[in-house]
Amino acid sequence: MPVQDQFQGYQLRVVQEVLLALLAKDASHGYQLRARLQLALGPLAEALNAGQVYVTLGRLEKSGLAHSRRVGQADRPDRKVYELTPAGRERVREWLEDTSWPKPAPAEFHLKLVAAAAAGLADPVRIVDGQRHALLVALAAAQRAALAEPDGSVAGLLLEGVVLRLQADLRWLEACARYWTTTKGR
Amino acid sequence: MGRLLLVYRLAARDLRRRPAEAALLLLAITAATTTLTLGLVLHGATSKPYQSTRNATAGPDVVARADPPPVGGRSADLAALKALAHAQGVTRHSGPYPVTHVTLGAHRQTAAVQVEGRDTASASVDQPKLTQGSWVRNGGVVVEAAFADAFDVHTGDTITLNHRSFRIVGVAVTAAMPPYPFTTWLSAPGGAQDHAVHPGLIWLTRADARNLAQQTASLSYVLNLKLADPAGAPEFVKEHTPTSPVGHELKPPPGLESWQEIGQQAANLVRNEQRVLLVGSWLLGLLALASIAVLVGSRMADQLRRVGLLKAVGGTPRLVASVLLAEYLVLALLGAAAGLTLGRLAAPLLTDPGAGLVGSTGAVPFTLAKIALVTVVALGVAAVATFVPAVRASRTSTLLALADSARPPRRRAWLITLSARLPVPLLLALRVAARRPRRVLLCTVSVAITVSGIIAALAAQAQLHAQHASGSSGLADPRTDRLNQVLLLITVMLIAQAAVNAIFVTWATVLDTKHSSALARALGATPQQVSAGLSAAQILPALAGAILGIPGGIKLIAAVSPSATTTPPTWWILTTVLGTVLVMAGLTAIPARISARRPIAPILQSELA
Amino acid sequence: MRSLLDDDEGTLMERTGSILRTRGLRTEYGKGAALVRAVDGVDLDVAAGETVAVMGPSGCGKSTLLHLLGGLERPAAGEVWVGGRRIDELSEKALARMRRHAIGFVFQAFHLMDELTALENVELPALLAGRSPRVSRRRAAELLEQVGLTDRAKHLPSALSGGQRQRVAIARALSNEPDVVLADEPTGNLDSAATLDVLRLLDSLRSAGQTLVIVTHDSRIAATADRLITMRDGAFVEETRLTHGTTGRLSELAGLEG
Repeated sequence: MPVQDQFQGYQLRVVQEVLLALLAKDASHGYQLRARLQLALGPLAEALNAGQVYVTLGRLEKSGLAHSRRVGQADRPDRKVYELTPAGRERVREWLEDTSWPKPAPAEFHLKLVAAAAAGLADPVRIVDGQRHALLVALAAAQRAALAEPDGSVAGLLLEGVVLRLQADLRWLEACARYWTTTKGR
Repeated sequence: MGRLLLVYRLAARDLRRRPAEAALLLLAITAATTTLTLGLVLHGATSKPYQSTRNATAGPDVVARADPPPVGGRSADLAALKALAHAQGVTRHSGPYPVTHVTLGAHRQTAAVQVEGRDTASASVDQPKLTQGSWVRNGGVVVEAAFADAFDVHTGDTITLNHRSFRIVGVAVTAAMPPYPFTTWLSAPGGAQDHAVHPGLIWLTRADARNLAQQTASLSYVLNLKLADPAGAPEFVKEHTPTSPVGHELKPPPGLESWQEIGQQAANLVRNEQRVLLVGSWLLGLLALASIAVLVGSRMADQLRRVGLLKAVGGTPRLVASVLLAEYLVLALLGAAAGLTLGRLAAPLLTDPGAGLVGSTGAVPFTLAKIALVTVVALGVAAVATFVPAVRASRTSTLLALADSARPPRRRAWLITLSARLPVPLLLALRVAARRPRRVLLCTVSVAITVSGIIAALAAQAQLHAQHASGSSGLADPRTDRLNQVLLLITVMLIAQAAVNAIFVTWATVLDTKHSSALARALGATPQQVSAGLSAAQILPALAGAILGIPGGIKLIAAVSPSATTTPPTWWILTTVLGTVLVMAGLTAIPARISARRPIAPILQSELA
Repeated sequence: MRSLLDDDEGTLMERTGSILRTRGLRTEYGKGAALVRAVDGVDLDVAAGETVAVMGPSGCGKSTLLHLLGGLERPAAGEVWVGGRRIDELSEKALARMRRHAIGFVFQAFHLMDELTALENVELPALLAGRSPRVSRRRAAELLEQVGLTDRAKHLPSALSGGQRQRVAIARALSNEPDVVLADEPTGNLDSAATLDVLRLLDSLRSAGQTLVIVTHDSRIAATADRLITMRDGAFVEETRLTHGTTGRLSELAGLEG
């Protein structure tokens, strides 16, 4: 879809829901919403350009979850201020109550190792090492980004989540390495 | 019952786990109880030999003597002496016997002796008891045993008396006079006292005695009396001693001496040794206590962790205390038994009444009461030395005990600040010392006690030396010899015990500082600095102790022998202090060196758990 | 290349900026069948200002390697060079002197002296190195400020939290401005909050150009390094440069892309 291409990989659903939730208390215009997102994402907001927010807001209005009105400004052109519709409020409530969790996916990697070993295509330990290498580089980057955040930064909390996830994955990779190192001999 | 078994098992296992420590503790308790046993056994051991001699020789209750007047060449007042034999209260008597002083020659030595002319038949009062040979006959003399010993003459030897040859036919003891060298100068004609302070005593026949005297008028006479009431002898003496000195120059009245006085003088023979032994055993006992304290203290950290474990698995504080006490009480009982046995075996060596008195070593009192006392003291020492730690350990929170922080090192802020200004070895030494101030105190006290003992022994030695130099007899003085032996024995024991203490303290310190020494080396201290620091941590308190020991020793000798005015030469004292420091350096160097050369990594690694 | 190195290793090392170097490093414990080579043929070069992390399962020999680098243990074979000087043949005395100026240690168990305050612990290496009490004290105060514990200077270690103790230990390691700081599982005894404090501190040391070798099993601590070495059975098995990750990949990891 041409519209989705403009999001450059950002998950549409999340951005939609987040914008709806940010509108739940007060009406707000696009610029304010974008600033809020940038604050929350910290260094990860780099890829977020202004267009994404406005395109998403347009979609929300189209699907009847929000509506907009023009507000005049003294020294500038008029601005669009967005507000939630009742359907939009309902959607926000559902999103907050939703407990589905974006799961890490060990199954695929696990099956990759099993298949590689079974087919004799590659040494699973080497695959693990390669993966570990990639995750460690990512961990180092996340850590540096986290350490660069000032104390009490809300984006730091997100980066902390990334770091801890990576740590957990690395620990699992250690277990994989142990398993495949010992099985190899058998 | 099951509970007792549990306590027994836990205690036995702990003792077996650290056999070296248990053995050392046993050694310390044994040392303490041995010296205590000796001290107790020696106390009151002295009157017995004189008493048995008195019984064996029909010893007189009162000895009376009449001397010729110092001037005028007139003879002694024999009539007054004879009158005493018939005084009221006298039941039996022997004598009067003629007494004179002569010069004895034997082994190319000469000595002043007094000779007493006796009947060849035995007397009913004061018949000297022969320890060798037979009684006097014309040309055959009997020598007082202690003097014979000192002069090294025996039955069958030939001696000269005023250049006339006599044969020794016997050696005997008497209760009428204290043994040599306390023999009193019975015959005191003018000028005679100049050449001998302690004359020997020789018995011969009346005829020989008269022949030896230059003139009959120079003879003194001795009369031995038995009273109806022996206990009243001092009153009898007082009654018959004239109070007014008028005219005595011309006609001295008979001099009287009661058996009690003689017994007192006889006891002098062993009294000095007894004093030395008693003081010595106190000092040794204190040193042994110091070792016990160091050992118990160094076991504490380990014990506390064990207590934590016991409590963590459900042991009550009472069980924990029981286990700890059981361990120490077993050691105390073993130590007391060993100490009593050793003391019992060693006592005769020291209480041997020596020549001059009869009295078997079996006479050494070794009563049940004394055994009980030694045992109770040993148990008491063990209980006191462990009760505090046991209670503290059992009350320590389980968590703290497990965490091993229950016995944190002490902190002396001023010492740490001061040490920062000192060279590295001293910096380390002061900090080691500051961690365990009580151990430093024990080290100081232990050395101070030892040095006090050594200084006191040296002072006594110096005094004996001075006395010996002033005496001209040139004879071996058994009193000096025996005292010398005892002083040497005590000094050697003190030094040995102090050396053991020094090793205990160093060992405990090395264990205690194992970790911080390794750390100091990881942070850049060289092994030489660390071992010098560990040594200095012991040497500095030892130096302080040695210096404190100088006045201590002088006070000690003054307390033991108030008449003593001699202090040992300064260079003796300086040598003692220097020697103490050198010995400490030697004793601590090896453990300190070993400790400072241990590999660092395993020590720091083992602390991870 | 090899022969060039052999010609004059010391000066070459200085020229290439390598402050820590080992060649063919090996240790042996036990004999015969029980022979264990905790470190087996390790070649390592650490450049000045570089932070190197060594990771591996417990018992892989990483702590032993650290002890060898700091001269706390001697290798059975191989060479250790610190700051252009070969140290594996030095006497114990010379090793101690070398440690004073070249090495700062940080241990898992902190190893602070219980009876000394934080400040006194930090000044100890300077005193051992023979600096004046005043200079040592001033330097210690600066270091405590650097690790954010000025208000705890007079506290005994027993009154400090684990994280604070380790920060004191790190300050102590920096006391003599060492060429290299060797840290052995610096967060092994710490909870996650304290780990974060120590992590920040190590990262700030790295930014300040301090050469650091960290042995750890915590991937998070390892991730602060410029380079990560994985050790297995006494040998290096993998080496990872950690400096080229980008935030673009992070967005994906954070669930913002994909």
